Amino acid sequence: MDAFETMQKHYQQRDLAARKWKEKGGKVAGYFCNNVPEEMILAAGFFPFRISGDPWGGTEVADRYTEPFYEPDVRSMFNMLLTGRYDFLDFLIIPHSRDAILALYYHLGKVQQIAPTLKLPELHLFDTPHTRFWMSGLYMRDRVRELKKKLEEWSGQEISNERLSKAIAIGNENKMLLKKVAALRAAEPPRISGVEALQIIGSSMFMLKEEHNKLLRQFLTEAARLPAKDGVRLFVEGSPIDNLQFYELVESGNATIVGEDNCWGNRYSDDPVDVSLDPLEAIAERYHLKSPCPRMHPMDRRVEYCLRSAVEAKAQGMIFFFLEWDNALAWEYPDQKKALEEKGIPTVCFEMQKYLLSDPERERLRTRIEQFVEAIGMDKKSARSAHARHAAQ
Amino acid sequence: MSEVRSVSGQPKAGSGQGDRSVKQLRSSVEAAAYQKEWFKKTRERISEGDPFALAQADTPHEIFLTMDIPVVPVQWWSAVIAAKRLSAYYFDLMNERGYQRNLCRYCCLPLACTMDHNPERAPWGGLPKPTVLLAELTCDSHSKIFHLWAREYGCHFFPLECSASTVSYSRWWERIKHHWDEVIEPHRLDLRVEELKALIRFLEVTTERTFSHAKFVEIMELENEQEEYFKKTRDLIAETVPCPVNLADQFASTMNPQWHRGTQWGRDQARMFYEEVKERVNKGEAVCKNEKLRLMWIGAGLWHNIAFYQYFEEKYGAVFVCSIYLSIAADGYARDCLNDPLRALASRHLSMGEHLRQPDWLVKEAKLHKVNGAVMIVAENCIRDVGRRFTQIAFEDAGIPLLTIYADVVDAREWDDDKIKSQVSSFIEERLLS
Repeated sequence: MDAFETMQKHYQQRDLAARKWKEKGGKVAGYFCNNVPEEMILAAGFFPFRISGDPWGGTEVADRYTEPFYEPDVRSMFNMLLTGRYDFLDFLIIPHSRDAILALYYHLGKVQQIAPTLKLPELHLFDTPHTRFWMSGLYMRDRVRELKKKLEEWSGQEISNERLSKAIAIGNENKMLLKKVAALRAAEPPRISGVEALQIIGSSMFMLKEEHNKLLRQFLTEAARLPAKDGVRLFVEGSPIDNLQFYELVESGNATIVGEDNCWGNRYSDDPVDVSLDPLEAIAERYHLKSPCPRMHPMDRRVEYCLRSAVEAKAQGMIFFFLEWDNALAWEYPDQKKALEEKGIPTVCFEMQKYLLSDPERERLRTRIEQFVEAIGMDKKSARSAHARHAAQ
Repeated sequence: MSEVRSVSGQPKAGSGQGDRSVKQLRSSVEAAAYQKEWFKKTRERISEGDPFALAQADTPHEIFLTMDIPVVPVQWWSAVIAAKRLSAYYFDLMNERGYQRNLCRYCCLPLACTMDHNPERAPWGGLPKPTVLLAELTCDSHSKIFHLWAREYGCHFFPLECSASTVSYSRWWERIKHHWDEVIEPHRLDLRVEELKALIRFLEVTTERTFSHAKFVEIMELENEQEEYFKKTRDLIAETVPCPVNLADQFASTMNPQWHRGTQWGRDQARMFYEEVKERVNKGEAVCKNEKLRLMWIGAGLWHNIAFYQYFEEKYGAVFVCSIYLSIAADGYARDCLNDPLRALASRHLSMGEHLRQPDWLVKEAKLHKVNGAVMIVAENCIRDVGRRFTQIAFEDAGIPLLTIYADVVDAREWDDDKIKSQVSSFIEERLLS
């Protein structure tokens, strides 16, 4: 099995490595979003495991406790926690990221009161601020210290600076290698597809980072031999995408997704931790000031980030993909659309999308994507002809 | 009532729903008149160069009051726009500007109104440009709405962090007045105090006014007196059968003084409300002499259709006797300053949103008011409502039937009056009268 196939296997069988770790006597700390310092979990000697949803897994148990308009990916994660799909977790760290994720902390507590026999991992709320102000940074620093204390309590051992620095080095290497993967997508022509990229990036959050780094190094060594991808270059903005349905649909036509702005994609590998600082201070600063997650104020940074990322990826078109009820992102959409179109990048928007795409929905999306891609292709062709005519004159 | 038209000029379906509500209390009529007059005078002051703030309802208005800076609460303004039946027009406008239809409404209606830049259409001539916008980032959308709003006005937005509670303090209402420093975690209070200090300095710099500590303490004390009247009023309404005051009056006589909390007018108005209710109780006056059922309304007021509540009084003798507004005024605001009034103020709003939604507190209020059933309005565009099923479960466990209706409190476009009345009627007939 080559490096990519191994990463693909871990993307598909997400609990594989964590369960093996557990079988060997290790402990697993689950977390949501990319706002929890994985480095600290690793330094505590635990397996850091990012929680994701399952579009095919149903939400029957979660539906008993939440309204139908709860964001569907988070509803799925909630359901998986309630039905034992994450029974290998010893601890669970819930950040104050988007509202739907924070709500999980309270929902799990309430369900535990209603159903005391339900087995849940021990919970910790990591209360991250939503502004970049210095004062909020101090609050973040205190919360990072609090998390360290909690991890030490769970593990029964102190997390030394040395252990932290080592974990930071592993995490930074992972980010650096993933940036090289991102560069392969931004290359002309791209060398890997969006579907492949999501699996490479995502598997990093389901495996031990050192193992993942080995695979990435191996994969990158062989990257020169990767076949060129063709088709219109598209960028995806919008909701976190923790599965392949939409990317497979887009890339089944004449298009390649060369980048995205979400925490299961390229944004995950931004901003290494500054190794010149005290490790805990550096972690606090990195997770406070990193590339803007949609929860962060002000939204202008999000608009600028989206535009810059699309331009750097040499995107010819932008797809906005919003899961149903994931509303916060949609406030940025008119500004992002305007900024992109001013740069000559056309956009198409799919709002209120289901987490599990039905066959009719897939067909509807496929038709609209094909039309969008075709229109970009025609524009490109006519621009080339105009350029040729101009050169001939 | 004039016909409301959509942006494209077409008459709006669903914008002429229901009749106007009937207010029975002098205090609520006077409060509404005062509010309108206050708004007019405030406009005059602003036109002469006075500063002015627009702030979320659950933010420390007391800071502005101390500095004699008029403040308009966003939710109140949203309710005014909805009550004037302009929400459909403004939301259509927003949608035409590229903002999706499924976004939150209650907190963004004033933004939509501002985007119109047409004072002639806006209620009471619209809001002038504020000096500052203030909001706690209590949901993902707040930071975006206020950012866009500040841009629309060309003014500053001062965001307050919304730190998250790590513990759910049960029976908070018994401890919050005197022991708020136990109910709210110290690290959250520390951050909010620092933010309030920063806000004060920001206002001192931008308005060249000084924050008077003595005046601030006086405001905090006046506010405690005001909330004490609300507590007495709530208790009186809760114990009196049949109910002496309808929900429309309760809204007006609570919310208007609350938006001027800490002023002498606010305190006096709360006292007037209490005395008027007491007088009605003594005289045996009731909303509905033939009261058969007592209902609780959970969620924000149905601002675009306040008359909705009266329909069930007439049809079934079913009276809505309580809502979160008077109840939270009674239980959630008063603070013993414990020699640190700024920290006490910080504690007032930090967990209010969470306390308002805590199922145990809602059940306590339902029992206190001896309700037979509850109707809970849930907005599909409000992330903070996603956990409302826990309220449903708590009510059912307490033996109090609860009906959930899905609708928006300010957006009249999707309100189907017949359908919702039919849902509530079926609930009454099948679960409360059978």
